Amino acid sequence: MIETLTVPANLDSLKPIAEYVMKVAKMAGLDKKSMYKLRLAVDELATNIANYAYADDHDGKKDISLESNISQDSLIITITDNGIPFNPTNKIDAEMEVVQKPIEERKIGGLGIFLAFDGVDDFSYQRIEQQNINILTVYHHRD
Amino acid sequence: MALDLTLTVENEIAKITLAGELDGSNAADFKTKIEEAAAAEPQKLVLYMNDLEFMASAGLRVLVFSKQKMGAGVDVYVVGADEMIIETIEKTGLHHSLIIQETFA
Repeated sequence: MIETLTVPANLDSLKPIAEYVMKVAKMAGLDKKSMYKLRLAVDELATNIANYAYADDHDGKKDISLESNISQDSLIITITDNGIPFNPTNKIDAEMEVVQKPIEERKIGGLGIFLAFDGVDDFSYQRIEQQNINILTVYHHRD
Repeated sequence: MALDLTLTVENEIAKITLAGELDGSNAADFKTKIEEAAAAEPQKLVLYMNDLEFMASAGLRVLVFSKQKMGAGVDVYVVGADEMIIETIEKTGLHHSLIIQETFA
């Protein structure tokens, strides 16, 4: 079963994106905790795309596209944008270090990628034909 | 996302109640409320999260900001938060600097 959503890449789209993720998570039969973590993961990545993916002079549509594949044993959500190349997997080490620091010494930033990685079972990134493609997989933990 | 914020200050305790969902679309509003609270120079900051359903990293960043803005002498309490929100706070190591409680007497 495949479900898709395409919305403008801005922060106002976080709400329809959240609704979409909760809908497909329900269809896939994820438990409450897995659903929350997946919603958080997608929210973080979509926020990054909305804030950084598209330059002001970007030629063409500034969209975020989501596609979900629901199967017996997994839910795979693919997030695609046409923005500047950004590989989240390159940022994870830096964010892991932030988590170790006391609050008083922290720069205010980051943590989104860390939470996105933490929230799913598998995470992969590809850059294909001018597109950033983030693939999030959750294996079944049914209620 | 919808987020309702209310601030009260009494007896040098600033209380902010958060209801709804907190993420990148509205974290700036929360930051503004923290600044308002800090301007009152309270001794404690209490964040009531009983009706907060969701918090993304943009919200965590405001928690870090609140601690830094208030200064070391001011305790920041997170009260009544959902287990998933507490889990996020713990995972990112912020529980070492915030006081997490079910209720605030």
